[in-house]
Amino acid sequence: MAENILVVGGGPAGLNAATMLSELGVNVALVERDSFIGGNPKKFKYKFLFPDMQPADNVIGELIKKTESGGNIKVYYSSEVSDFKENGKKFDATIKSAEGSETKTFDSVIVATGFEHFDPARDAKYSYQLFDDVIDIKDLERMMGENNFVRPSNGQPPKNVAFILCVGSRDRHVGNQYCSRVCCTVSVKQAIELREHFPDCEVYIFYMDIRTYGFFEDLYWQAMEEHDVQIVKGRIAEITSGPDNTVVCKGEDTLLRGPFEIPFDMVVLASGMEGGSQSPEISKKLGIELDEHGFLKPENITLSPFKSNKAGIFLAGACTGPKAISDSITEGAAAAMNAYTYAVKNR
Amino acid sequence: MALKKQEQRPVAEKGEHIIARHLIEDDSIKEEKNLVIDGVDVSGRWNTFILSRVDSEFDRSFFREVKDTVVGSRINRCWQCGMCTASCTVTPLYRRFNPRAFIYMMQLGNLKELKKYIDVAWRCVGCYKCSQRCPKQVNPAEMMEALGLVIKKYFPEEVQSKLKVDEDVKKIYDDMILGHGRLDLAKLHTSAMQKTGRTKELLGKIERDAIFKMAKDGRAFSILRLGKPHNWNSSKEAMGNYLKNLNTIENSEA
Repeated sequence: MAENILVVGGGPAGLNAATMLSELGVNVALVERDSFIGGNPKKFKYKFLFPDMQPADNVIGELIKKTESGGNIKVYYSSEVSDFKENGKKFDATIKSAEGSETKTFDSVIVATGFEHFDPARDAKYSYQLFDDVIDIKDLERMMGENNFVRPSNGQPPKNVAFILCVGSRDRHVGNQYCSRVCCTVSVKQAIELREHFPDCEVYIFYMDIRTYGFFEDLYWQAMEEHDVQIVKGRIAEITSGPDNTVVCKGEDTLLRGPFEIPFDMVVLASGMEGGSQSPEISKKLGIELDEHGFLKPENITLSPFKSNKAGIFLAGACTGPKAISDSITEGAAAAMNAYTYAVKNR
Repeated sequence: MALKKQEQRPVAEKGEHIIARHLIEDDSIKEEKNLVIDGVDVSGRWNTFILSRVDSEFDRSFFREVKDTVVGSRINRCWQCGMCTASCTVTPLYRRFNPRAFIYMMQLGNLKELKKYIDVAWRCVGCYKCSQRCPKQVNPAEMMEALGLVIKKYFPEEVQSKLKVDEDVKKIYDDMILGHGRLDLAKLHTSAMQKTGRTKELLGKIERDAIFKMAKDGRAFSILRLGKPHNWNSSKEAMGNYLKNLNTIENSEA
């Protein structure tokens, strides 16, 4: 008899876990809260992925295709786990969707509920939603995905654009002390795209540290050396409106020790990642631990980052912390392997 | 009586009436000694105006200008780690000479700030330690040459007034270059000692020891054998003409 495994979340991690389990002959139930699968990359229409600028569709589209054609995967759209109980070493879960409720016994569970983009409106100093020309990286990504790459206020191409890093990250004021890991790289990637799209548009990045870790550094060097993107050290304390329909960034140039108030046509906020509302929800429902940052807590951060504190429940992707898509896909595979082993052992 | 008092009043210094005057740079104060607007006399303190100290613009045209020069072509690479300043041989002597900061000011087109360093911006001795250490191969040593070009172009008056060429030193250099085609460090050293009135020290123990040491290990003789650069006669003529032209140009500008 084939194993039954429940995967919660249809983003890169969940989809990869589901397809790998399906290939092993496991019956997978994939619970997805949205009416589509593909997670945040699909939801916000990511266009090109760092570090090699390949179309997001190559990755996400491929995963979706595999999931939908995999014979052993049952996808529950617009659904949630409404009831969850341990049953010996197995789990009884009720999946509630538009078509009704269904209770099943699963051998193991993979939680891949992902992250949510930080909402910059929560931090009033950035005047997000107050000015049309203040957008964040997910908005810009969507604009690029829709080939609608202009100033939101007047539809004109921008002449100078500022990126502001660490929005909603590394800031006690908003309650997030951690680094969101990918926003630096996404920002330099978008800066390059902007410079390629509008060669006359000057692009500045306001930073405290630029954390394009590992080989993502190549992209950062490329942005400076091939595309003349200028980095300016200092975080922005205030965004106000300026003359000629501009937005003014007020900050300190910490290298020259001088205050500045520079008008820009467009400001892009590199908003970070958060555990969102789904993390505490699933933590409560499944009885797994939540960490102090609002993400799910792995059993051992180094030895078993893909295991929850409860045997038989595994974690994958950005639900355990900010992560790049490639890392989420890796973790999906790791969690799949572990969930399968657990299921076979307790057959 | 009151009139007499006014007559005795000394001529006001620029911005004299600003209470925290010491906090404000001279250049930031705008004040006309004599100014009449619409028939109203607003001379002196009445028209005092303090310019904002907030930078309100990044001037990228300046960055492009530097980038288009041969020596400044790598300005876009600099990420301000400070390795150049850390390795600099001049900075320990003149703290205001900071290659990292100069490069940053050029990147952002901050001429206002650059102007403050006209007197020290030329202090690079060309040891190229910074260029060797630079992790991004910006070549800061040559960037300092770009800086010189920029300063000369944008602040010709300040350069004239703040940097006086020492004619004696200039003559020593010209003679050395045109006479031998090389810098002669020994001659430069003796000239410098003579110029600063330390002729006695030239025969002191330290100098004698150095000469003996150099004679012993052969360096003194290898210097003598160096000779003149290849094809020196034609090069000498070209250089002589160049210097002559340069002099005429500079003289006509003045």
